[in-house]
Amino acid sequence: MLRALREIEGGLKLSLNVVGRMGRLRRAPIRESFLRQVYFTGVTAATGVVLRASVLGVLIIAITMDVLDADTDLAVKILLLLVFREIGPLAAAVVVILRTGTAISAEVAMMRISGQTRALRHLGIDLYDYIVVPRVAGVMLATVVLTFYVQFLAVLGGLLFSPLIIDATFMELAGRFSALFAPVDFFYSTIKALLFGFAIAACCCYHGLNPPNLTQNAVPQVVTRAVTQSAMLTLGINAVFAYIVFGILFFGLVTAKV
Amino acid sequence: MSAALRYSLQQPGTPGFVLEVPQGGVTRAHLPDPQSKARFIAAVAKARCGEGEALELLGEQVDAIGSAARARLLRRVGVLSPSVALITNLNAWENISLPAAYHGSPAPERVAEITQEVLPALVDEPLALLARLPEQLNTLQRRVVAFVRLLVVGPELAVIDGVDEGLSRDECACVARFETEYRARHPSGTLLSSRAGSCTRPRCIS
Repeated sequence: MLRALREIEGGLKLSLNVVGRMGRLRRAPIRESFLRQVYFTGVTAATGVVLRASVLGVLIIAITMDVLDADTDLAVKILLLLVFREIGPLAAAVVVILRTGTAISAEVAMMRISGQTRALRHLGIDLYDYIVVPRVAGVMLATVVLTFYVQFLAVLGGLLFSPLIIDATFMELAGRFSALFAPVDFFYSTIKALLFGFAIAACCCYHGLNPPNLTQNAVPQVVTRAVTQSAMLTLGINAVFAYIVFGILFFGLVTAKV
Repeated sequence: MSAALRYSLQQPGTPGFVLEVPQGGVTRAHLPDPQSKARFIAAVAKARCGEGEALELLGEQVDAIGSAARARLLRRVGVLSPSVALITNLNAWENISLPAAYHGSPAPERVAEITQEVLPALVDEPLALLARLPEQLNTLQRRVVAFVRLLVVGPELAVIDGVDEGLSRDECACVARFETEYRARHPSGTLLSSRAGSCTRPRCIS
């Protein structure tokens, strides 16, 4: 219980520090670290893993439409409500947790254990500036880009694949989709992806900087905690965000057209 | 001459010792045993005292200062230990230039100048070394890179702790030049070179 409270307090402190220090990204070594993070999280994940995540989205559409015996309208609603709004950002978040979350938590924990963080302090380099800010900012940006990538591939796959299951052409589905699509869907995905990226990177950095002990054995424990809590945070944010924006609280901030 | 560092360790059951390092110049300290030396280095590196210890660093009693003052004080002190911690995902040149790039001083030209002057005197193939990651460097090369980084930062008090540990005779001759190189670039700075010996009182050779 005490540890949980300490983790919440530490996580909040780290998050506030990161928000307040985003301007430090202008400094050359921090900017380089940020670009490196974007490359590792966004560019290297944009081939195999994300393509597989997108295929998963197409499969979900196919199975759902087959089971529900969907018509054109329902197929497009599934694409927009399920794939675009929910599965796209979540699939990107899962990829980021599995690929980047594990790497960040292990790397930062190793830096702490091997004395690199102490060396940075001696050089007068703030750990938040050099370790946390570029990773959090890089992961946030990469998560947004990966989300768009997954959404694009999954929706395109769904539009191409659906005519094989239901009695509708690609053009009919695409026309209906563009009629139902509203800017709020785009902003909803972007904000959610930014929040996912922030939560994942901040959680992994926090656990990396606070290993249970300073031995090599602490690294697997750090990674396990970071990944578990990142996944729980992502699901929690997804639920709360969907509830606030489209749910019944205050009758929803946004009324969906569908 | 005022002291750059005053340290005392009083432990029950073991002979305590007092170490005073005068400001400016090079001091070689032979501390009584490895445990005492480890405690001394930890106290200086963290600017924090443990039980039975007292430390005055660059005129400040470390027990009486807050965390912000401690962080400022630590920036004036540099410690080079046998287990030098280079940043593993940066190559040797990036490690050397990191503090200057972060703080904006000294200028990149000055960092390059220091590196060009010091590195060829200490290692073979300095250009090839600069492009390598820490994991591709041997022990001596890692210590040399950390030393050049220390020179770039230019702390008022530099503590070189047993950097010849685990090195061959030829390599020891190389790290022995660290003192001269530091002195040449920081004439007003204080250099403390510490070693653990089997003596009951620390010996200081200034």
